[in-house]
Amino acid sequence: MAMIVKFWGVRGSIPTTAQWARVFGGNTPCVEVRCDDAVFICDAGTGIRELGRDLARRSPAPKAAHLFLSHLHLDHIQGLPFFLAAVPDLRVHVYGVSDDDTSRQRLLSGELGAEFFPQNSSVPRASLTFDHLEEDARNVSGVRVKSFPLQHPGGCHGFSFECDGRKVVYASDVDLEAGLAGAKERTATSDLMTLRPVPRALLNAARGADLLIVDGQYNDTQYRAHMGSGHSSCLTATDLAIQADVKSLALFHHDPDDRDSDVETKVKLCLARTAKLGADLPIFAAREGMALKL
Amino acid sequence: MAETSSHRRSEATVPTLIVAARRERDVRPHRLQQIEGTGAPRLVPLDREEFVMGRDEAANIRINSPRASRRHAFIRRHEEGFELLDNESRNGVLLNGLKVYSAVLRDGDVVQVADGVFVYHES
Repeated sequence: MAMIVKFWGVRGSIPTTAQWARVFGGNTPCVEVRCDDAVFICDAGTGIRELGRDLARRSPAPKAAHLFLSHLHLDHIQGLPFFLAAVPDLRVHVYGVSDDDTSRQRLLSGELGAEFFPQNSSVPRASLTFDHLEEDARNVSGVRVKSFPLQHPGGCHGFSFECDGRKVVYASDVDLEAGLAGAKERTATSDLMTLRPVPRALLNAARGADLLIVDGQYNDTQYRAHMGSGHSSCLTATDLAIQADVKSLALFHHDPDDRDSDVETKVKLCLARTAKLGADLPIFAAREGMALKL
Repeated sequence: MAETSSHRRSEATVPTLIVAARRERDVRPHRLQQIEGTGAPRLVPLDREEFVMGRDEAANIRINSPRASRRHAFIRRHEEGFELLDNESRNGVLLNGLKVYSAVLRDGDVVQVADGVFVYHES
């Protein structure tokens, strides 16, 4: 069973249409994970609109999709109304992370209301079904899906998807140093020989993944200037990937002020760190419109 | 009076010039420039909807290498330009050194299919 991962939106916080962000793209988070015919979607940022248009063009068109929202901050849900209009025949299953988690249902019902989005009852749109994981995990269409908590203001979850011996882990919007003593000092030194501590839940979830998609919004200097905003230094993300022994790392949730050249510089920094640490780890920046086959 | 008239004429031509320049840019085909591998150097204007890259003699962009599959990859027109798609090839395709299944191409991207290395140029 082939697993295909496609990036539809990789930018954090707010979409950018700037020409200088064109290579990596300006849409906010949306990643598609496909296992044969089963379609899983991580987050519904503005990138999901183009995914909807693409699903509508596929033959045969999928009848269902499984939507996992990391959290409900605007940049992770703002594309949903446009997506639903693009795929009127689709049944979209939206998952809470536990059986008593109704936050998604409550908030999305509001987002899809007339106050926030123009309503036209004559225009069909996809139906939403609210579902949930059971004790943080569930088999969905033959794929083992697990959730795990991430350190981000207001709460956030990451997800792992496993099928046929392949595993992809999605961990957008996380401050890998949150709650760990000495973060400011660690990110202020150019110590390339000591791996930084990382959250255990995420480390365990990511262990052995074929692909880890993780928040690498900042470099160390940016991180120190934005501590508490819930995002990570790309260098700490690299250390997580090394410790979790993943096969490849995608830096994700690019800063809205980062030019393409800034994103490329971050990748180079991370590759330099892996080289110093003697790790053999492919690292790249997630890029809109790019798909990988695991 | 004459100066004002001349000034008005000049202003009126600016939008026309812009439209003409943009039209010229839009119709100029994007290109793949082969910089390494058998067949290099060559310049392939992307002037059709789809190109087949591979070892097959009928491939639009032939790559004469035992590491290339017969119909290894496609370059297909996309609403933002062109898209690179691996055709379930044995050795895969690289975009800027990363093995990808598909990708929308951007100016300056380096595409590698077997021994053939290409640079994608937007118009």
